Amino acid sequence: MKLKINGQEVEIDDAYGSGLLIWAIRDGAGLMGTKFGCGAGICGSCTVHIDGEAVRSCITPVQNVVDADIRTLEGLPNEDGMLHPVQQAFIEQQVPQCAWCMSGQMMSAAALLEQNENPTQEEIVEAMSENYCRCGCYFRIKSAVARAAEIKQEMA
Amino acid sequence: MTTSQEPKTKKRRWRVTRRGFLLGAGATAGTLAIGVLAGRRPFYRFLAGQLDNASAPGGPAEDPIAWFEISPDNDISIFINRVEMGQGVHTSMAQIGAEELGIDFEQLTVVQAGTQKGAEPAAVTGGSNTISSAYLPLRKAAAAMREMLIIQAAGMLGAPAADLEAVSATVRSKSDADQSLTYGEIVAATTEWPELQEEPVLKEASEFQIIGRSIPRVDFEAKLTGQPVYGYDLKTEGMLYGAVIRPPTIEATLLSVNAGSAAERDGVVEVVVDEELGFAGVVATTRAAAWTAVNSLDVEWDEGHLWSQEELDDMLDFDMLDGYVIQKEGNALRVIDGEPTLAAEYRTPMAVHAHLEPQAAMADFQDGKLKIWTSTQGQGTVKGQIVAVLGMEEADVEVVPTYLGGGFGRRLNANVALEAALLARAVGRPVHVGWTRQEEMRHGYVRPSTRSQLSAKLNNNRIEALSHRQASGEVAFPFFPGFLQAIFGTDFGAWRGSFNFYEGIPNRQLGAYLARMPIKTGWWRGLGLMSNIFATESFMDEMAHAAGVDPLEFRLAHLSDDPFSQRMRGVLEAAAERAGYGESLPEGRAFGVACGPDVDTVVAMISEISVDDDGFITVHKVTQAIDAGLFINPDGAKAQAQGSIIMGLSSTLIEELTVSEGRVVPNNFDRYPLLTIDRAPEIEIVLLESDLQPRGMGEPPMGPVAASVANALFNLTGKRIRQLPLTPERVRAA
Repeated sequence: MKLKINGQEVEIDDAYGSGLLIWAIRDGAGLMGTKFGCGAGICGSCTVHIDGEAVRSCITPVQNVVDADIRTLEGLPNEDGMLHPVQQAFIEQQVPQCAWCMSGQMMSAAALLEQNENPTQEEIVEAMSENYCRCGCYFRIKSAVARAAEIKQEMA
Repeated sequence: MTTSQEPKTKKRRWRVTRRGFLLGAGATAGTLAIGVLAGRRPFYRFLAGQLDNASAPGGPAEDPIAWFEISPDNDISIFINRVEMGQGVHTSMAQIGAEELGIDFEQLTVVQAGTQKGAEPAAVTGGSNTISSAYLPLRKAAAAMREMLIIQAAGMLGAPAADLEAVSATVRSKSDADQSLTYGEIVAATTEWPELQEEPVLKEASEFQIIGRSIPRVDFEAKLTGQPVYGYDLKTEGMLYGAVIRPPTIEATLLSVNAGSAAERDGVVEVVVDEELGFAGVVATTRAAAWTAVNSLDVEWDEGHLWSQEELDDMLDFDMLDGYVIQKEGNALRVIDGEPTLAAEYRTPMAVHAHLEPQAAMADFQDGKLKIWTSTQGQGTVKGQIVAVLGMEEADVEVVPTYLGGGFGRRLNANVALEAALLARAVGRPVHVGWTRQEEMRHGYVRPSTRSQLSAKLNNNRIEALSHRQASGEVAFPFFPGFLQAIFGTDFGAWRGSFNFYEGIPNRQLGAYLARMPIKTGWWRGLGLMSNIFATESFMDEMAHAAGVDPLEFRLAHLSDDPFSQRMRGVLEAAAERAGYGESLPEGRAFGVACGPDVDTVVAMISEISVDDDGFITVHKVTQAIDAGLFINPDGAKAQAQGSIIMGLSSTLIEELTVSEGRVVPNNFDRYPLLTIDRAPEIEIVLLESDLQPRGMGEPPMGPVAASVANALFNLTGKRIRQLPLTPERVRAA
């Protein structure tokens, strides 16, 4: 079967077709940027974009997204390989610790900035409030998402 | 600066030199290799005396904790035998090495060492001791390497060594810049490295250019672009997926197991049963197939006693447990004489680690040799376990640590690599085992619950006597052989953080009581640290209020003038000043203070909170002042403190693991939620450097978190809650 991931048609073993999107992405397509955390759609580590919306891939059946545009962490940089403003800001502000949750954090942040170019602190907190970070990087996430909005506007 | 996780050199043999570092045998074969000889920490030296030297925690005494290599092509690497789980030690250890090596930080490649690439690995990464134990040995070994290069260059350039200097991986003449050789050129031209005749001279702190700088982390680019750098990410040609049966209750024992219908299920390659080990699992072509099939194995369990939470709580009974007096000055019991001025009891619940990357390992068994990649805090522990259970030779087992998606103590002792090894051996193909969140919630080990009883006699607004009885489930003991438990008597992990440090109290006593719980208990970030400081520092506040003295002043009044007390005084005053303690706050807000030492780092914390009508606590701002001596990477140190505070607040406000009918109640985050960004406070960290000896940062900042919030709650509402977490229900009921 084929899935459209990061703008490309990706061939995936049919064995993944009846399962959940996260395993089609990770084990099927070999894209390990999408992380498994809870398998219940709670922690947010597995967040990807489906047609531009932030979605939990660990509870999304592959059958629901066969025609969709799927975007993962690997699809965040632009065509020239330049890191997405969110990635730049997270590195610049040294946000992560273990960084396992950061793919999901950055996908949530990137989705927010697609819909809201200049979010307030309250809007950032709201948008990021369903992504767990066990290392406790929240303090830096708040400022880095705001910084990412600035970088995005500078790059535009 | 680049990083690499796959060591590129063969296993080295090391020779201890007179100057106290290790010379790699490869030093005569075109590459200069210098190992960092840390020796054992006193605790491990003691254990080694009790055990076979090589199997003691900490590994053989001549293990390098890191080593440097310089190739003829001027490639300079540091191989690190400690793992990167978010704490930033790969960056800070590299900083320390680059400083004395005479190179630019960017010239150094950081490589994670596996068990087969150097000497055997010094067991574990944990206990907030990586930097404090590595600091001087790393500097000495790097300085020795620099000196050896200068001496060789002196011969090659025909110049006195004293006229040469090492800069940016080049030895050059101080007077003639054209006279220079790169480190690689020196290494290429040298076949025999003479021993250093003199102790290498270390830099003065005033000369530091890399130590003390907030250098960006070396591991972030790979992590933030989705590179497969964690244990769960491993994948190789022909790899299969494994899953293993789990007991239904905390006390279950396996009666019988057979394949049942599992073997016929789609995608199943093999069902592996080893009744002797009590092990059964499934290997399949996809993870989902393995997880589904393992549930259709035909397994019979004896569920054991179906424990309730109340029964577990009752086990922390001072009358039923053996107690050891582990701190005694004066005679607190006689002074209190059954009539304390005040007495109180505190409890904390069990907790899970909830590292977001579940346990994971990939094992490949080929031609009688086993190679394992896994996210572990103890590659040596993993190797020892596999050698023992599979009956293999040490030389045939190699363990390569990956980056870890969180550790927090849970990855010090884990079975996932063993599970992958057993399955891989059975099918003869690489097998990856990745745990589910349900397995993490119910089948690891947990932070034990604690109970503390404190009583005090006050006299003239001062503490004349303080007695503390502290009970806990085991922390370190489950991982030690029985005879060591007998030698220690008490479990240092269980009472960690409960020692009284107020030298101004003339009579004080601490008794530690240990319970063996039916649920597996063990390491957790800080071990008993935060649980115990919640009791001691809440009670310190209670005594202050009973004496009618401001809690901050009361603490300062009971600190002495010795160097340690001065450091504690320093952080208390710094935190208070930065937080604006004592200044008026908006209506409905209050400050709470708490402090504590851990691994000789001292921390003071001021929380500013409010509480709504439903009893919901909002922590608006946290100010911590921390004296951990020299900070190798100040921004990294702040990150550790910020993270400890958040993890501590999650325990303070939300987390509580319970057992019902023999089972751990939550099986996912729906019934065991973690603190999220909407409850994360503003955090201000003040770093104080009292001297030039670096100390631990991973755990100490967590110590005072719960107590400072509970103390703020009392200051705000007059409600004293002596049980964690501080949930709205408890606040309303208080």
